Amino acid sequence: MSLSDRSRVNLSRALVVTGLILYIPSNIMPVMTMSLIGKVDPLTVMGGVLELYDSGLPLIAGVVFLASFILPFAKLAALAWVLFLHGSPSLRRERSKVFKIVHMIGSWSMVDIFLLAVLAAVGQLGALASVRAEPGCIVFAIVLLCSLVAAEIYKPRLIWEDA
Amino acid sequence: MNEALASQSLEAEGRWVACPYCEAPCLEKELLPGQELICSRCDTTVMIHIAKRSLQPPFALSLTGLVLLLLANTTPILTFDVVGRSQSDYMITGIIELCRQGYFLIGLLVFFCGIIAPAVFLSCAFYLGFAIVLNLRPPGLKLVSTIAHAVRPWNLIPVYSVATVVAVVKLKMLGSVAWQPGARYVLGVAVMSILCEQISNRQIALEHLNKMGVMKKE
Repeated sequence: MSLSDRSRVNLSRALVVTGLILYIPSNIMPVMTMSLIGKVDPLTVMGGVLELYDSGLPLIAGVVFLASFILPFAKLAALAWVLFLHGSPSLRRERSKVFKIVHMIGSWSMVDIFLLAVLAAVGQLGALASVRAEPGCIVFAIVLLCSLVAAEIYKPRLIWEDA
Repeated sequence: MNEALASQSLEAEGRWVACPYCEAPCLEKELLPGQELICSRCDTTVMIHIAKRSLQPPFALSLTGLVLLLLANTTPILTFDVVGRSQSDYMITGIIELCRQGYFLIGLLVFFCGIIAPAVFLSCAFYLGFAIVLNLRPPGLKLVSTIAHAVRPWNLIPVYSVATVVAVVKLKMLGSVAWQPGARYVLGVAVMSILCEQISNRQIALEHLNKMGVMKKE
């Protein structure tokens, strides 16, 4: 089964819009709850970054901030721009370059999801320490999936085709 | 005038190949060592000079990556200790725990991007390398090439290794953490995957498969 070019563009647009709508809740809702000896700490994506920064680890905090906060939005915004100009003859070379960059860096935003998996694996020490995933992680994962799938569905050749 | 005629005759004789990125038609030409054919539309490398042994490194890297992936999945990555109680982390335990907590989508995503996609990508690279380097024609080469290309963006084992480092930093704030041998294997698979992706060239593989009569030139 192969999608027509029109379907590819429409599906990509729908996914990008969905991703952009869910981006805000994904950053407000907690993605996990960490509890250590009775102290319960719900963590949002940004909360995790601030925690790392406050602990004197600005470099690691910067990496997580870039991967989990900046990259998903930058990727969705770039895709939205490419899709908005679809069929237009303007800035084709620039769009092609931006799309290439989106492909290269996009997957790094999955850091937070993998982080959750590693923390959930070791954080099962009963009352001493536990890590629980929260519904925010589903929303965050959907945002990432929307951007990843949209970038896969929209083919670079479509940038060069007229409407 | 002569130059224009020469150019026309070259175009008449030459074959057109599609750019692997934007699919623009590019005129194929004989390349000398170090030369590349660049797409005039999107600046992507369309063809490179094929060195005689250029397919051996990806073949070796994919084989190494597969062995390391097996080890990474069977040995613990790290151990977390709080007040004398400790817990080890295997790649699969995080996925099982997420599913146990009812987050099947997240578990499935981690399972696919962290274990299945790297395994499929490395297996496909190994199968293709095996066939091409040994000049064999095992079944399904065309399908394997397509699968390798499709699964490549979902191979996120390098991202997993970075997430492990971040997790260790975070866990150190809560208790004591000890690296286990699995961490080295995860890092090894990540390095092998990146190198395999960078070194292996689809055009070279397709060129060889075409010579073997497996598929028509794309």
